Amino acid sequence: MTDDLWFERLAADREPAAIPAPARLKSKVYSAVLSRLAESGPLEDLLRTKQAGGHLCVFENALTIVPIGADLRSRNPCRVCHARVLAERMEDAPIFWPGCPYAEFHRG
Amino acid sequence: MDPETSGAPAPAPESRPPNWQSDERELVAAVLRKDRKAAARLVAAHIDAVYAYARHRLTPREELVDDVVQDVFLSALNGLAAFQGQSSLRGWLVGIARHKVEDVYRQRLRAADPIDDATNPVEDRQPSEAPAMEERLDAMRAREKARQVLARIPERYGLVLLWRYWEQRSVREIATAIGATEKSVERTLARARARFKQVWMKGGTEAP
Repeated sequence: MTDDLWFERLAADREPAAIPAPARLKSKVYSAVLSRLAESGPLEDLLRTKQAGGHLCVFENALTIVPIGADLRSRNPCRVCHARVLAERMEDAPIFWPGCPYAEFHRG
Repeated sequence: MDPETSGAPAPAPESRPPNWQSDERELVAAVLRKDRKAAARLVAAHIDAVYAYARHRLTPREELVDDVVQDVFLSALNGLAAFQGQSSLRGWLVGIARHKVEDVYRQRLRAADPIDDATNPVEDRQPSEAPAMEERLDAMRAREKARQVLARIPERYGLVLLWRYWEQRSVREIATAIGATEKSVERTLARARARFKQVWMKGGTEAP
């Protein structure tokens, strides 16, 4: 067997195993995606997200109830949320808010 | 290069619902209008495939995987408006991942210190002496052993072997990508193969 063939067979045997991405990484990537989206202008108004069927967390939902402007509803409250901080730094973070993507990354 | 037409390997088989194309177009449209929940769905649905691809192509340099995965999603955002839905979102994202992984190979091979031949002699071992892996180990053990060996040989050697055999790139492609001659890449590959086998035959436990 030639060297080349030996390595080709070895590489061919190396099928990726189904290892899911760590929840911590999912959280960091989601945060980075939101930050990138926000760089080019405000995020979608939470009221519209809610009307479109988006499941908001308790904090986001509060922003759609209190009398504030669309400007505030288009900001990203996750930036100052403890759930994001925990989710980005821990596996199996103790966050359980319904409608929180970070909690879903850790429970999923 | 457009990942949709780059010939990237097909991602892991995915079970697709009947309306997957319209569902994916809706998801893309929602992300483009900056619906944060849609962004979460995009990440949740596809990060495992991107992660698995990057992890296995960057083994054993797993410390690079997180940055590559994040970079894939951020690059995807830049090109999302142009996504035509000709392939699945997952295939498109894995195509981007392939380019990112090759960027890593290219950058690190260019930056890596040249290997000193005197301290890393090429063993003049005949190919026929190479262990018949399939006779000695099952595939899973071989994969694990290869992973250990790749972690123990110099980075330059590991990267060039991954690129040549795991990514199935030709010597010419590698040479062009890193601005070296084909002869130089061949020499590096020969040393890398010899070093890999040297460690392999010692059970993958020899210090580099």
